[in-house]
Amino acid sequence: MHLASVFLHGFGPRYDLPIAEWLYLYGAGGVVALSFVLVVVFAGDKVGSKAVEYPRWKVPALVGVARSSWPRFAGGVIGVLALIAVVVTGLFGSIRPERNPSEYITWIFFWAATVIVSGLVGNLWYYLNPWAAIYDAALARLRPAATLPNVGVWPATALFLSFVCLELTSGMANRPWLVAVAALSYTCLTLGGMVLYGRDQWLEHCEAFTVLFVIIGRFAPVEADRDESGRVTMVYLRPWGVGLLKPYPAGWDRVVFVILMLSSLAFDGILATPAWQDFDIALEPIWLPLGSLGFFFVRTVGLLLLTMTFLLVFVAIMQLVMYFGSRKVDLKTTVSAFALTLVPIALVYNAAHNYSYVMVQSQLIIPLLNDPLGKGWELFPSLAHVQPSFALAQAATVWYAQVILIVLGHVIAVYLSHLRAGERFRTAQRALLSQYPMLILMIGYTMVSLSILAAPTTNAG
Amino acid sequence: MTRTRTAFVAVIVALFLVAGGILIYANQSHGGQNVTISVTVTGADKMSPSTLNAHLNDEVTISITSDQTGEVHLHGYDIAFDCTAGQATSHTFKADKSGQFDIEWESTSTPLGQLVVS
Repeated sequence: MHLASVFLHGFGPRYDLPIAEWLYLYGAGGVVALSFVLVVVFAGDKVGSKAVEYPRWKVPALVGVARSSWPRFAGGVIGVLALIAVVVTGLFGSIRPERNPSEYITWIFFWAATVIVSGLVGNLWYYLNPWAAIYDAALARLRPAATLPNVGVWPATALFLSFVCLELTSGMANRPWLVAVAALSYTCLTLGGMVLYGRDQWLEHCEAFTVLFVIIGRFAPVEADRDESGRVTMVYLRPWGVGLLKPYPAGWDRVVFVILMLSSLAFDGILATPAWQDFDIALEPIWLPLGSLGFFFVRTVGLLLLTMTFLLVFVAIMQLVMYFGSRKVDLKTTVSAFALTLVPIALVYNAAHNYSYVMVQSQLIIPLLNDPLGKGWELFPSLAHVQPSFALAQAATVWYAQVILIVLGHVIAVYLSHLRAGERFRTAQRALLSQYPMLILMIGYTMVSLSILAAPTTNAG
Repeated sequence: MTRTRTAFVAVIVALFLVAGGILIYANQSHGGQNVTISVTVTGADKMSPSTLNAHLNDEVTISITSDQTGEVHLHGYDIAFDCTAGQATSHTFKADKSGQFDIEWESTSTPLGQLVVS
């Protein structure tokens, strides 16, 4: 069973306890009760384009910051330094993941924390993207040599899937050298792609994290208006989540990308449950003879099956939504329009799942600054024995934070989906009726998230 | 929104908050006791029992007897039990962090079990 107990997210133990049963039942009850409250509140609401109008407040003070080149410069420097640190410490540092900064930077600071902060504040990746920064500093004079064919965001979806496989299914995310090699390869690919097809073409269609963070940034409470030349004319604050109602290009590529966001998060949680462990052990006769390849195979198939299931359930629910909405609308546009309303549930689940990881384990990088490459250096001896603080991560605090997050995310999602239905279907009554299937889907998805957080965890999580 | 609807929503939300308050009060941690746990480690890869339980703020004494000489490490609390084969090694500490904390055979990073502080 040694292979199966490889740590998830690459490395390190999780300290958080599963949510206590009473709190889980309370949270679950709350989700159902609030869903019905929302239905009552919504009855007889606005329809048409008015439904998706939302309030926003001007913040002239931020216009100067948005126009200035300093945030991009500072963000770019941080991004590039972090990329260099991942590669250098990954290749030349300790082989023990918990003693190698590349693991912390990649899985905690980038993958967990940047996603959470981007949802809370705004698209940080726009500023931090090291490849965009390198291109702007050194390669911007080159003219694109070719035009990107009309591929939508399929390349970004494929690259995102590869990244998720590295994290969750490879069982090798805890090898610092592999993280470094992956970062280097992705750097070559992205820089090459930008040189060949042009910066923005590549970023918007092929760079997985740009596509991902644009979606996350839509949840965030900051938005900017630009004039034709792209200059920021005004910066606004808006409630969390409503940006997901802004027009989004329709297409199966984008729907699959969003579904993959949802399914990979759920899969991450499922891997840590005893149920998955039992399933894994039951399949051992098949995969064990293949060694680590078999391990990779079982998990990848699991992830793909879960993604397919999510997609099929979503499409089936959308058929019902269209039936109850009783309006001739085509499936692709409707599916695309509603897919983003599921994003709040995924984001809050992500924050809840990674809460103590970001709050506690992130601090373990501090002692490593004394000797980042594991060579016995004494760069900052005073940091060598810093112990992580649990001040914000006692079990009770984590549980309450998790349940509050999950319930809030659910309410936001149900609300957005209702507004979207109001926009799509002609009468308020039809819009409300069309929302019942979606409400059931959302309650189901939220319950899955909550039950994963309440399930006993194993070493793999 | 009509008045009945507002009242309905208000009643549900109020009921829900009251229920939450009662549940949180009823499930407060009952820590602060003295707890002594004796465990045995065999072959540097098995611990019995493998899950140790305590409440937040308990004064916990863990006594480990191993059939091999080496370090057993309690992560999170960062306590090292320097075991000598056949002898009991114990440490007493206040369980001031809640969560589940891995216990490992340090030299090989072999997981032995967990301390659960709830």
